[in-house]
Amino acid sequence: MTSSPQAPAPPPAPAPAPPAPVRDLSLPPKRRPRRGESPSAGAWRDLRRRPLVLACTGVLLVMALMAALPEPFVALLTDDSGRCELADSRVGPNLHHPFGFDLQGCDYLGQVVRGSRPSLVIGLAVTAGALLLSLLLGMLAGFFGGWVDTLLSGLTDVFFGLPFVLGATVVLVAFPDHGLGAMTLVLVALGWTTMTRVMRAQVIGLKQADYVQAARSTGAGPLRLMTRHLLPNAVTPVVVVAMLNVGNVISGEATLDFLGVGLQYPAVSWGLQLNAAQAYVLDFPHLLAFPALFLSATVLSFILLGDAVRDAYDPKLR
Amino acid sequence: MGRYIARRLLYAVPVLLATTFLIHAMVFVLPGDPIQGLAGDRPVPAAVLAELHRRYHLDDPLVVQYAKYLGGLLTGDLGRTFTGEPVADTLAGRWQVTLRLGLTAWFLETVLGVALGVWAALRKGRWADNAVLAGTTLVIAVPVYIVGYLAQLLFGVKLGWFPVAGAEDGWPTAYLLPGLVLASFGVAYVARLTRASLLENLRADYVRTAGAKGLPRWRVVVRHTLRNSLIPVVTFLGIELGSLMAGAVVTEYVFNLPGVGQQVFQAIQLREGPTVVGITTALVLVYCLANLVVDVLYGLLDPRIRHDQ
Amino acid sequence: MLTARAGRLPAALLALALLAVAGSAAAGCVRRSDEDPGPVPDVPGGTFTVALTEPDHLTPGRTTSSYSLQVLEGLFDTPLALDPADGHAVPLAAESISTDDQRVWTLHFRPGARFHNGEPVTAASYADAWNAAAYGPNGWEANGYFSQIDGYAALNPADGAKPPTDRLSGLEVVDDSTLKVTLGAPFSQFPMLLAFPAFAPLPKAAFADPAGYDLHPVGNGPFAMDGDWRHQQRIDLRRAGGYTGPRPATADGVHFRIFTSKDTAFTELRAGHVDFMASVPPSRAYEAKRTFGKRYSVRPSGTMDYLGLPLWDTRYAKPELRQAISMAIDRRGITRAIFNEVFAPADSLVAGMIPGHRAGACGETCEYRPERAKELFDRAGGFTGTLELYFANSDPTYEQWMTAVANELKQNLGIRAIAFRKMSGADLGPILNGHKATGPYRQNWVVDYPSVQNYLAGLLGPNNRSGWSDPAFDRALALGNAAPTAAESEEHYHEAESIALRALPLIPLWNWQDQTAWSSRIGNVLVDPYVAGLHLEKVTVRH
Repeated sequence: MTSSPQAPAPPPAPAPAPPAPVRDLSLPPKRRPRRGESPSAGAWRDLRRRPLVLACTGVLLVMALMAALPEPFVALLTDDSGRCELADSRVGPNLHHPFGFDLQGCDYLGQVVRGSRPSLVIGLAVTAGALLLSLLLGMLAGFFGGWVDTLLSGLTDVFFGLPFVLGATVVLVAFPDHGLGAMTLVLVALGWTTMTRVMRAQVIGLKQADYVQAARSTGAGPLRLMTRHLLPNAVTPVVVVAMLNVGNVISGEATLDFLGVGLQYPAVSWGLQLNAAQAYVLDFPHLLAFPALFLSATVLSFILLGDAVRDAYDPKLR
Repeated sequence: MGRYIARRLLYAVPVLLATTFLIHAMVFVLPGDPIQGLAGDRPVPAAVLAELHRRYHLDDPLVVQYAKYLGGLLTGDLGRTFTGEPVADTLAGRWQVTLRLGLTAWFLETVLGVALGVWAALRKGRWADNAVLAGTTLVIAVPVYIVGYLAQLLFGVKLGWFPVAGAEDGWPTAYLLPGLVLASFGVAYVARLTRASLLENLRADYVRTAGAKGLPRWRVVVRHTLRNSLIPVVTFLGIELGSLMAGAVVTEYVFNLPGVGQQVFQAIQLREGPTVVGITTALVLVYCLANLVVDVLYGLLDPRIRHDQ
Repeated sequence: MLTARAGRLPAALLALALLAVAGSAAAGCVRRSDEDPGPVPDVPGGTFTVALTEPDHLTPGRTTSSYSLQVLEGLFDTPLALDPADGHAVPLAAESISTDDQRVWTLHFRPGARFHNGEPVTAASYADAWNAAAYGPNGWEANGYFSQIDGYAALNPADGAKPPTDRLSGLEVVDDSTLKVTLGAPFSQFPMLLAFPAFAPLPKAAFADPAGYDLHPVGNGPFAMDGDWRHQQRIDLRRAGGYTGPRPATADGVHFRIFTSKDTAFTELRAGHVDFMASVPPSRAYEAKRTFGKRYSVRPSGTMDYLGLPLWDTRYAKPELRQAISMAIDRRGITRAIFNEVFAPADSLVAGMIPGHRAGACGETCEYRPERAKELFDRAGGFTGTLELYFANSDPTYEQWMTAVANELKQNLGIRAIAFRKMSGADLGPILNGHKATGPYRQNWVVDYPSVQNYLAGLLGPNNRSGWSDPAFDRALALGNAAPTAAESEEHYHEAESIALRALPLIPLWNWQDQTAWSSRIGNVLVDPYVAGLHLEKVTVRH
């Protein structure tokens, strides 16, 4: 596919390759940072001024604290003995137990607080993993072109076409322990494609830039070109996509738990709690409501924050 | 354009082959024995076990299995399920369900998404805009199965507007609610995309000029802006058609729709290799085709992009 | 695309809105459904709809799935049936059955019976069906049910080779209405086995086109297929015209609607689109009680859940440890919390509804005694390593009750490291059958015929999953099988059960109860706890 240089969107993907236009059209038309200018300084200043960003950051900080140190939170907020008594099963909220009890008779607030860890760890670990993988693969495909690009783009297409729930289910069946590690691995394996395409398109676009050509003519090797010149300038839009993606990862993990192919005991997670709650929604709505609330608030915060970060880098839309 | 399409179709062949092999390897390399799994808590007599293994090629090495599968594929044989039905037969009826669901969702997504997006853009900064943005953000943040259960309880059981579940009432009655739930994520997305795109275009010089000439606002929007603004939306919707089919697993599960999503999920649990490979390959094929159509459409909508040298 | 505006409403508020929707949606459903319009008149005619899960096959010898069996109940008359009241065998397609030595049995069939396609039902129709099911290379699922008949081994070589013959040597067609069956060893419970649908007769069409027959089975029962089985969607039956047997149908037809999710099926029952549901999920018990009142019933079933113990793993070798695990589990607490009081705590290896069940056979071992459990646990030397719990992921409630068990083992015995091994049945089957599990596993038993012997032989017979064996147990079972009277058989079976309970290779947990609910459109709802399920032919319809 060849597109004229002034085509606004999607990012131009000239080149030898089988066409792989960038699929994430939530991305606004890209403004490439001009040479020598730090794109982040102004944007960052801009971000900190917004109340919404502060609110989301606040929510996420609280969640992160809960994930890191659940027990102090539990001790502070509720009267959790640490024992689960079946006699308390599904008792609703009261003064001593603000969220009531779950099906197993465990203090629900305690369980919901402890359930924050898998969601956050997986959300961040998967995003980081997928980001690294896509930076690497996108760079290689974009920089070298030719058969490397053909191969990697084909691979991207194969994985991109693989329906998420199906791919994850098939892979997870191979890991009987279904731990955090396995979940992270699976979600990374299925989550790197969009970012790789964005990265590849960026690198292809930048490769022809004057300063890269100049560096090349002064004898910079491929490694130096890639790490010193291309990476810093290509990375921003990929990071923005990654930010937007954290929320999706978290609800994807919860969906796998819900379908019964995700985490399992002794893990505690919002997805597992929602799975357990689904049959009791009518009589005991609190079982559904609290984990849904926490899950949705977290996902929402990540999405809003990702949106805000993107807007900061692309102020045209405000 | 013709050469471009031919090249793209040719390119799809290795991608599809790689996909079938990948899925095949994933399903067949896994440990476990589907026959013993189906028997549940009763032991299976050795002779029966041997026969069923032979019948479903379970003891062959992966490469042999894959070769047999491809051989069957060439003659139009997609293999058999563990109840002895040809996979192709089970798919025939199920594709209709998934296709109906996907198209219903896609239609709702297009109409509601664009309408909400345009509305929000024209009321930028007012309560309608805020409501649309807040609502769509919320929908994106809540996992689809929670939306599904709430919709079932509210519209199916409490209000009784729609059948709670099942495909028995036929299209459109049985598909509206699940279609809406399946579309919810996309509606939110399309609405935001339309809004943003429209806002961007409304700021463009030619629109300002048209406004300055005294043309009524709705005319400016409809005549000058909407078509341009919809380019990214159309692109998204094209790709979305493929994703809707693939993403229907959870919706079909919650609403008990006998589509391919539900079938493939069960088949994975049962280790029913031929079914899993058949459906996934078909989904990837739909996906590739949707991509192709989008790229071609894109060239038509935006003359600046040409696919021929 | 989102701008900062979206969030002028703080995130928490949006989330609260969700909570409110959840609450109001749920609250709205708590009202009672329709008023009871009085009893259903006892007149023939009308059709009704039954919720079903997709069966695996509809050819009798090819299935043991309870969903298939419910459909086969209408389509086929087996030689004998089980009395819905106490489970003893009564004649159905056969007029009589007799034996002198519990080994050679003679069946006389009713004359004049015909299949739905007009073909006469003869003794050969039975022999052909049984031979086909018993022939290993056919791969029919009910193959194991024929293992008592003489000649079964020849049709099922252990090495999977091709058998030299395809007929059971123990079957002899004496004349059109007489079949002589010779068993490998005396087996006093044989008549009950003959009520299992795999023993139904098959017409010639079943062998001419097996695949087509499975979609459109032609039987000898009160209902016939009305169109083909539409996979994952529906199966329709209509009253069979030429039926001459002892249980003619009252209604004109039955529609089975196939659901993947029982929760969905129950919701449809509430919405009035389904008339009968045989297995309301236990989690919906309170809701069902409230909504359906008298049209909701909980009946004991023959299905039991156990925690099996891997005796080949030396950590579980001491009986004290196994008893400690058993006594640390609060069966009543779990049945209350997880199963909404629908399931009954087990006090024996055998379900309470089985003739010959002894209340409290398990004694103190099956009671919740956390202190005593801890004492036994310490005396057995405690437990090292991770205790892994094995179960299939086919139903979400398994995970819930396993969680309760895990919590109790942790809290009552102090076992710190407990992990789940939840996997698909395809993985679990080979692990359990191959003695590769390293921890307790979920063991379930659906009874085939209401006899203590069925549990003992099925669960603890040769090559059982827990790897337990005891010659005294095997001897007691064999004596029971050969005994001439029911009372004598029972005595030997009880002895065998006591041996097994002392060793405790299987910890009895609870006995399933069938929760059924039905609409006000249907009456005369008779659900029996044995193989038949809902007696389709007896149901009356308001129309």
